[in-house]
Amino acid sequence: MKLAWQNVVHDRARFSVTVLGVSFAVFLMVFQGSLLTGFLQAASRLIDASDSDIWITARGVQAFEFGTPIEGRIREMAAGVPGVLETSRVCMAFAVYRTPNGKQQVVALVGADSNVGKRFPVPNAPGFAYGMSPDAVLYDVSDRDLIQVTAMPAEVEVNRHRASIERQIDGYGAFLGVPFLFTSYRNATRYMGFGPEEAMYILLRVDRAYSISDVQQNLRQRLPEVDVLTRDEFERKSRTYWTIKTGAGGAILTAAVLGFLIGLVVVSQTVYANTMENIEEYATLKALGASQMFVARIVLTQALICGALGSVLGLLAVVPCIGYAKSLIPWIYTPWWLLLVMVLPSLAMCSMASIASVRSALTVEPGRVFRA
Amino acid sequence: MPNHFLGVEGACVSFGKRDAQVRALRGVSQFFERGTLSLVMGPSGSGKTTLLSLLGCLLSPDEGIVFVDGVAVNGLSEAERTGVRQKKISFVFQAFRLFHSLSAIDNVALGFELRDPTVPGRMEMARDLLVRFGLGEKLNQEPYELSPGEKQRVAIARALAGNPPILLADEPTASLDAQAGRSICQLLRSQVDDEGRTVVVVTHDPRWQEFADRTINLCDGQVEQEEKKP
Repeated sequence: MKLAWQNVVHDRARFSVTVLGVSFAVFLMVFQGSLLTGFLQAASRLIDASDSDIWITARGVQAFEFGTPIEGRIREMAAGVPGVLETSRVCMAFAVYRTPNGKQQVVALVGADSNVGKRFPVPNAPGFAYGMSPDAVLYDVSDRDLIQVTAMPAEVEVNRHRASIERQIDGYGAFLGVPFLFTSYRNATRYMGFGPEEAMYILLRVDRAYSISDVQQNLRQRLPEVDVLTRDEFERKSRTYWTIKTGAGGAILTAAVLGFLIGLVVVSQTVYANTMENIEEYATLKALGASQMFVARIVLTQALICGALGSVLGLLAVVPCIGYAKSLIPWIYTPWWLLLVMVLPSLAMCSMASIASVRSALTVEPGRVFRA
Repeated sequence: MPNHFLGVEGACVSFGKRDAQVRALRGVSQFFERGTLSLVMGPSGSGKTTLLSLLGCLLSPDEGIVFVDGVAVNGLSEAERTGVRQKKISFVFQAFRLFHSLSAIDNVALGFELRDPTVPGRMEMARDLLVRFGLGEKLNQEPYELSPGEKQRVAIARALAGNPPILLADEPTASLDAQAGRSICQLLRSQVDDEGRTVVVVTHDPRWQEFADRTINLCDGQVEQEEKKP
């Protein structure tokens, strides 16, 4: 396979163009893949953070961010269903936030009971509560510029109610371009103007002795006026809404596919040009007794060399760029497997790109060797 | 009973269709004995290269039979004919046809690889062959760094890699000056005398006649004249 390697590197300019084309495609695919992965995570981050098994929502709620009120008595009714171990409440609404210097900003206000889950950012929850007042409000560090708090605790206003910003958290940054504020359920309902007879999300933990789906079925029969979803179902519903129904996921995916296609075209062009330039050598190889497999392997190896080097270069370039992008898009996320997995489509891309070249090399007549 | 080691019997080959049809060979029957150097001469368009293509399993005749190493190869599939070329036949071309991105030694090593991909020590064998051909100083030179004579020596070394019994050469000295041409003639003659190879050379170059055992003159796709050295 020395011939394949030498053929590729012999024309350095063409080789560089091919490798750059592949690395650009890999860069785009990994970047868009990271956007999509981060977007999917962010779309259901608060649902994931709860420890609940079942979520009860108003009928037809598509995503966590768009909850509507339900009757508060549903909580008591759900608590009476066999297998329900514990209930908690979460609510979310958009609110007007007034910064310490008087500027106004729309925020997504989230309130939750303290038992909603260890990872759920609630000021009165175990792990968060130390040193904070029960009415404290939390915000994500990535939203610092929007929240405009220079020192804590800071007195601010939420829907014209006094509130106290007391701590920064990490990993719950603005997903809709609107920063999240987290506070206790009691506080949040006060800011939102919810009555005691109203609720938004009722979360249930199921006794391990019971099947979650059995409890879900039982709840559905008893509470036909609401949606009863397992946590996974609500996660999926939220993600589907944000990625498919809003078209945002489609746009990200389209860019990733475009990256793939650009790479495909660049590699096809250069590998094909390289093959046609060396077509006489393929005829010579065949005249000298090279099998079709041998010839195909050389062309394919050339494409894969470009694919492998382009992938490495693309990955080396994209990792620091994503690191930088995190400061602008806090929810962008690159799981380690994405980096490995993206090498496969790039190699597949190069293999596909070499199909026309392999065909040309295989169909060249060995008899043309006698033409001077 | 003719010697059927290498040859054609009643070979007819046409190119093109209807009015544009050209009859390159018209019932040619010629056999080449093992361990001889034969010349195929004649004017352009006389069918020399077509005959060489038939002998090299690069072309099938419309009619007639082609024998390689005593076996009729007409009915063989493309893959089987490739196998025959791989094991028994090698070529030397007017334009050398070296692999431009490979060094001299890599070109010859590739010749060994094509004959037998499993053979060990290809680089050592390639080095030995090139040293024998007086190219010990040029092992790592790429083709563009070699003179025409040196290129043809590398091409012959590549052709001889793996020890094929048949060597078919198409105008091997046409691109060379007198001295380099003579040296190539001597080199191929030595392959017949020392290694017992069968060499068929298509040429216009009269210098070859001194080295050949037999000369066949083709004209309009037919054998016009045949001379054999006593």
